[in-house]
Amino acid sequence: MIIDINFIGLIIASIMASAVPLILASCGELITERSGVLNLGVEGMMIIGAISGFALMTVTGSLIIAIFGAMLAGVLISTIFAFLTQTLITNHVATGLALTIFGIGISAMIGKNFVGIPGKEFPVLFESLKDTIPLIGPILFGHSIVFYFAFALPFITSYFLKKTKIGLIVRAVGDSPDSASNQGINVRLVRYACILYGGAMSGLAGAYLSMIYTPQWIENMTGGRGWIALALVVFSTWNPIKILIGAMIFGGLTIIQFHMQAIGVRIPVQFLTALPYIVTIIVLVVISRDSRKIRLSTPSSLGKSFHKDN
Amino acid sequence: MNTNLKISNVTKIYPGCVANDNVSLEFNSGKIYALLGENGAGKSTLVKILSGVIIPDEGKIYLNENNLKLNSPLDAKKNDIGMVFQHFNLFETLSVFENLIIDSDEQRESLREKIDTIMKKYNFSIDLDIPVLNLSAGQKQKVEIIRCLIRSPKVLIMDEPTSVLTEQETSELFLSLKKFSEEGILIIYITHKLKEVMQLCDEVAVMRKGKLISVSEIKNENIESLANKMVGQNLKTIKKKKAKTSSDKLIKITNLNFTSEDPFETNLMDINFSVNRGECLGIAGISGNGQSELFQVLSGEIISEKDSIEFNNNYIGDLSPQERREYLMAFSPEDRLEQAAIPQMKIFENVALNNFKSSNFFNNGLINENKIKEHSKKIISDFNVNTDNIELKSQFLSGGNLQKLIIGRELITSPDLLICFNPTWGLDVGAINYIHETLIKINEQNKSIILISTDTDELLKLSDKISVIHKGKLSKIMNAEEVTSEKLGILMGGAN
Repeated sequence: MIIDINFIGLIIASIMASAVPLILASCGELITERSGVLNLGVEGMMIIGAISGFALMTVTGSLIIAIFGAMLAGVLISTIFAFLTQTLITNHVATGLALTIFGIGISAMIGKNFVGIPGKEFPVLFESLKDTIPLIGPILFGHSIVFYFAFALPFITSYFLKKTKIGLIVRAVGDSPDSASNQGINVRLVRYACILYGGAMSGLAGAYLSMIYTPQWIENMTGGRGWIALALVVFSTWNPIKILIGAMIFGGLTIIQFHMQAIGVRIPVQFLTALPYIVTIIVLVVISRDSRKIRLSTPSSLGKSFHKDN
Repeated sequence: MNTNLKISNVTKIYPGCVANDNVSLEFNSGKIYALLGENGAGKSTLVKILSGVIIPDEGKIYLNENNLKLNSPLDAKKNDIGMVFQHFNLFETLSVFENLIIDSDEQRESLREKIDTIMKKYNFSIDLDIPVLNLSAGQKQKVEIIRCLIRSPKVLIMDEPTSVLTEQETSELFLSLKKFSEEGILIIYITHKLKEVMQLCDEVAVMRKGKLISVSEIKNENIESLANKMVGQNLKTIKKKKAKTSSDKLIKITNLNFTSEDPFETNLMDINFSVNRGECLGIAGISGNGQSELFQVLSGEIISEKDSIEFNNNYIGDLSPQERREYLMAFSPEDRLEQAAIPQMKIFENVALNNFKSSNFFNNGLINENKIKEHSKKIISDFNVNTDNIELKSQFLSGGNLQKLIIGRELITSPDLLICFNPTWGLDVGAINYIHETLIKINEQNKSIILISTDTDELLKLSDKISVIHKGKLSKIMNAEEVTSEKLGILMGGAN
């Protein structure tokens, strides 16, 4: 059997494409968590992004409005979370879980009218270069703008946290909100901003699913990707580059197990489907074992409410 | 240029307590001012008002005749008021430089230069690129001071700055503060330590129960006069009688080691000591040198090798705190509300907590509330806990009363050994005196104490033998009469 070298390129490209929503949502949640806020509502925000993007695309016909609308929807729903946890000082975990349940429910309700409607084709960049280089061509070229943005995002996030003043402030708030407040930093404002940013990225991740990856609306189409994104953040020890690695492993195993099922490998389907989840977490745990580094990179105030007493 | 800071008729009321009652004070640069008072006297509230953390209910603050509106810490900073808090406001996981640049508007390079100049001028030496959690308490304080100096402040407020320092570090700090004062920075020094006031300051304001009691020049005061103003009554001094020497070993620690995986904790290395009956062994040291790990190992929160701890001729190194209690050990941990008592539970419930095995308290798994309450009332009256409501949640007891309750709960089972860790931390003078008297009484009854404390004066007062812990290692055990606070200070700093 001769395997076309471009076919391998296409498989790698499809692995990368399946990693995109994870990278987007994880990098957003990473910023939120670095500021000390634990938002378990990623799944809910993603699904809201997915339905908003798809609905806006169908109704307005504009892809740009749809993409930004999905991000805005993510921002809006995360504003609810921010208001509850930062202004009303509710428990992060319970509020985040509620957000996910709410998101799944409301998206199914809105989505009723959009089931079965075909999506639109999303424009891709550098299509003409795809066939110029074997193997590399299909990997690098012919993808949507969101795809390129997602693969740049871990590096941007890392640079932002390490090198910029605002990144430093975000880390400081996550380390010790009390000290930050005494330094004159508006902790609540920083946390609001980080939560809203996380919402926008989750919204974008959802829109990528319903508009680009599989352009259609299916109820509950995020299928637990939000939870995996959350796990990636924690098991990568809040390191954006490791998130990239984890998302690629997860995407890779998801795609490969599909192919294995298609070929008819004699392994129980349930095991194959579970494989990406298990392996990703094992790999991330193994590469992030250093307890000292974990202590240094874990936001000390993660999940704790900040009360300012006057 | 002269700086004049005026506090005018400041009042701050909390539910159930007047923290500042119509306080007016005036400060001028060139002098070092002491703000003296016991815990709860209102000093901290007053300085928090000056640094914008707390907004007063009434009153005004003037800097050089300008009325300041201090609604946030940022306002204080903008108005050239620098503040070093008792509990450091540093970001432990960020590097020193990141901690310093975070609230500065300057470029990295120019800030680095500025920090280098400051460090050279005042003889500080700190590596700017390591995480703050690797610094000693003294170094952390210097980082805080540098953070203030970067902004060239007119006023520098130091809140109980020596509570975490060694004698050497304290005298270094005093030299720096005098230098700042000569350069025209107005220094306000908050403390409850009288010796320091006499050593460092020019003028002293005494506060008690939220009220300003007096303002006077140091040269007109002495330690006794200040103490009486601070406490509001004449204090009796207590002294320990020399213990009868006994050679009956009660507890013996042999080659005890503890290695932690947590980088925030200290490893214990090769600990050896023994305590005789009727003796008090004091363990001195600057906080964070392994005291809390040592306490946990001794109390059984951390399990060690079975034969590393021998108590009353039994090897108990692998037993839990509950099992150790059955061998008549008792424990009073440092953090009263986190480790010793459960704040949301009632007094009598907390009393029952260290005695699950007692058949008096529990019958077939049911709680015998009457017995526990009876027992609690006895503790409250025997140990002078100032409340008659045993249904009160423990969090509403003052630190002193809670400590008395805890010590009482531990002692009422008449243990052979009491291990306590900073038993008078943060208490007022009256409560401290009471606790000290109680500890002396224990020794007189031929029972033993291991006293882990960061308060050198307390150790010298109560111990028969003293050792110093530094970076997880114990110094040799010395007889208390041979030890001076200077000598302890040197050992605490790590010298041999």
